[in-house]
Amino acid sequence: MSFLTPAAFAFAAAIPVVVLFYLLKRKRVVKLVSSTLLWQKYLAETQASAPFQKLRHNWLLVLQILLLLALIFALARPYRAGQISGGRLLVAIVDASASMQSTDETPSRFERARREALELVDSLHDTDQMVVLLAAGHTEVKQSPTGNKSALRRALQGCAVTDAPTRLAEALKLAQPLVKDRIDAEIHLFSDGAAADLTDFEHEGLNVVYHRLGARAMNVGIVGLDVRAHPEEPARRALFASVANASTNPVQTELQVLFDDQLIETRLLELRPRETVPQVFAATQAKDGIFTARLAAPDDLLADNQASLVSLLPAPVRVLLVTRGNRFLERALATAPGVQLSVADDLVEGSDDFDVTVLDDVLPAVWPAGNTLAIRSANTNWVEVTGRAETPAIVDWRTTHPLLRFVNFDNVQLAETLTVKPPTWAVSLVDSSASPLILAGEAGRQRLIWIGFDTLQTTWPLRISFPIFIANAVAWLDPSATKAGQFQVRAGDPIRLTLAESLTNATVRLPDGSERALAIDPGARELVFGQTALQGIYRLDAGTNRFVVSANLLDAAETDTTPKPELKFGKYARIEATSTKRASLEWWRWLAASALAVLGFEWWFYHRRTA
Amino acid sequence: MRWRSGRELPVEARVTQSLLSPELLRRLEQVQLLAARRAKSSARGERRSRSRGQSVEFADYRNYSVGDDLRYLDWNLYGRLDRLFLKLYEEERELPVRLFLDASESMTFGDPVKFDFARQVAAAIGYVALCGFDRVSVLVFPDNPEDGAARSALRSVRGRRSAFALFNHLGALKAGGSAQLNPALHRGAVEARQPGLAVVLSDFLDPDGYEAGIGALLGRGFQVDCVHILAPEELSPTTFGDLRLIDAETGGHQEVTFGRYRLAAYRETVSRFCQRLREFCAVRGVNYFLASSATPLEDLLLRQLRKAEVLG
Repeated sequence: MSFLTPAAFAFAAAIPVVVLFYLLKRKRVVKLVSSTLLWQKYLAETQASAPFQKLRHNWLLVLQILLLLALIFALARPYRAGQISGGRLLVAIVDASASMQSTDETPSRFERARREALELVDSLHDTDQMVVLLAAGHTEVKQSPTGNKSALRRALQGCAVTDAPTRLAEALKLAQPLVKDRIDAEIHLFSDGAAADLTDFEHEGLNVVYHRLGARAMNVGIVGLDVRAHPEEPARRALFASVANASTNPVQTELQVLFDDQLIETRLLELRPRETVPQVFAATQAKDGIFTARLAAPDDLLADNQASLVSLLPAPVRVLLVTRGNRFLERALATAPGVQLSVADDLVEGSDDFDVTVLDDVLPAVWPAGNTLAIRSANTNWVEVTGRAETPAIVDWRTTHPLLRFVNFDNVQLAETLTVKPPTWAVSLVDSSASPLILAGEAGRQRLIWIGFDTLQTTWPLRISFPIFIANAVAWLDPSATKAGQFQVRAGDPIRLTLAESLTNATVRLPDGSERALAIDPGARELVFGQTALQGIYRLDAGTNRFVVSANLLDAAETDTTPKPELKFGKYARIEATSTKRASLEWWRWLAASALAVLGFEWWFYHRRTA
Repeated sequence: MRWRSGRELPVEARVTQSLLSPELLRRLEQVQLLAARRAKSSARGERRSRSRGQSVEFADYRNYSVGDDLRYLDWNLYGRLDRLFLKLYEEERELPVRLFLDASESMTFGDPVKFDFARQVAAAIGYVALCGFDRVSVLVFPDNPEDGAARSALRSVRGRRSAFALFNHLGALKAGGSAQLNPALHRGAVEARQPGLAVVLSDFLDPDGYEAGIGALLGRGFQVDCVHILAPEELSPTTFGDLRLIDAETGGHQEVTFGRYRLAAYRETVSRFCQRLREFCAVRGVNYFLASSATPLEDLLLRQLRKAEVLG
């Protein structure tokens, strides 16, 4: 037999103390009385007058020592090594997303979740095991399966809430293999249900217990923020902001817009219950800087009351068109906004200083290294041409892709196209019955759009959708847009920045003012920083480069802090919130406490009887 | 016996020590000691005796014999019967009242002090007796040389005028020493020339007992009244805890652990002690009174003693 806490044997020092109490003679108060005649013999106690008396045989003493021994033994937590026939496995998923910061629970939804999870730990049996997962922007395994309650408590105490949106599906997918094929496994989800991505998750009969947190939805938040060129005044910038009211009451609030901490405009908003209001602000931007939108409404969730955006001044897009002659394409490229067009009949070495290269049915001497729109010409690394197809009919196109915004392929006829196998790097935007016609994606660090047919052998250049597609393509291929995208991340997502030079270290200043040093592998061309749990502005110093990156919540599902009474899993499954939790609440503490109380009562009663 | 209200003395005016209140004294003047026995004293008094002599109480007739005092002839009877008869009257004698006052160390306890209470009772009974022209002897035990003068003065007090002296001397007494109840009562019984009324004022807390002493008084022919005086703390102690009790008289000690739980047991002990004395007295025709030293004096004297026909 071994002991988990052998230090408890130190309490054995209490045994001599108990014996000493029995050895000690009580100190008596001397009192002069008229006569001892009235104090009969049976009232008297025959005791020696010495401070110590001889230890007499006393059952009370024996019982007390036995009780004390039993208590010390129990405190030492004896155990024996043996085989157990498996206990339950509980997977506790604690939602640490931004909406869990809501203060409608005291002190917050997250703290309440932690408390409930700790109660669950207390209710574990000796044979039970538990896993702690922290679900925020990413799922973190805080504790692998264990029955050690102190380790589980430590893991839960180490959890912290983030500004990131929830990805509950990721956490559930992580928990799924753990509980698979186990009848006695349970997933305990401590969440407010403010997550949008669970419809993609198939339930598959998981035993999920949903501990719903949150009492109300009193929240107004910024759910969208974007800055673009002003559609009507090209010299100015337009800031698009969406403000959502999650509560069921009308709310009045002020929306402030700042540029580099200088107030540009304050607007009073009146939001109807559960309404989302888009707002457009026009601002003149003379330099690269940070736009910040800020809500003044005091509500339960502060994380979504502010959002920032790093805005870089738009630079002209240098486009090189390599063609043997295509006036439609040339005109379409020339009219695309912000384009500086050069036309060549072949691509030669050293023409890397163009942002976008358009290959129109040519086989260039060198393949471009930058972003490319390739029409009927393809590097063998990009696509594998399997043949040709005559008059392919366009059957479908992906309207949700930004490249096909406002683009329609009705009444577009094609004479011929190359047939290819869909490559892994690309998605098919337009499909014929024989082959994908337009592919788009990123191969390596290069953005590519591949068109399988010659535009001059189609009716497409005659349609309005053609110049729109070309304009979309230029915007999508513009590396500065990609670069601008690098400076905006979701809270919780990693910051990835392309490095122009080889570096070994960098420092990051977090929104809360603290600084982190980053070690970079020599030769790495990308800097990755993952600790973006806080929203706000991250400033990176990497060699001669200074980067400013904004991390934002901007998540309508997080802003809608309404506690969900049920979670929808997949298409059909529903998990209702439990008001009562299945838990085995242990009694031993109460029993031990009552044993002590009985011991105390026994002392009191003994003294009352003898006194 | 009867109450004589004549010869008023301004006694109360002279009672400087407030053993008894003037009001109580006035009320005590209206009562008298009732003795079940005929007085046997040789001195004249106001108590009926078996002796014949001069008084106003007619007792009997007897035939005239030569030498009889002609003043006592019943001339009316002679006129009717033509025979000479002598009228006999009851001789009125005094009743010796002996007050045995316990002045041992144990009597100094209590609040109010038992000894003070006992002195007041002694003064009251003594005053009633003096008002009834009886001889009062106060026997204070144990002996204490400190107040020897007062003690010897108290051995024989007679006449209502001496009431003031009685009070004064009672007030001068000091308590101390071990009681020795039996020898004291025995000596008092032996020393008495004539038996009379004996009132024992004591707490009877004597390890040697009291039976022999009371028996001696009864054997001498006394009518005995016992007033058992205990302090309120003795009847119901208020000191609890682990105690080492020291006997004030014997110096002996006893260790007790005393709490409220044992209070009932203690009361039972006290009640048994009192009951034993009460039964001892009842069997022998002795009046027994138990009084706490906090008992109002009027209650003991004018209610309890009257009820038992000690006072009337």
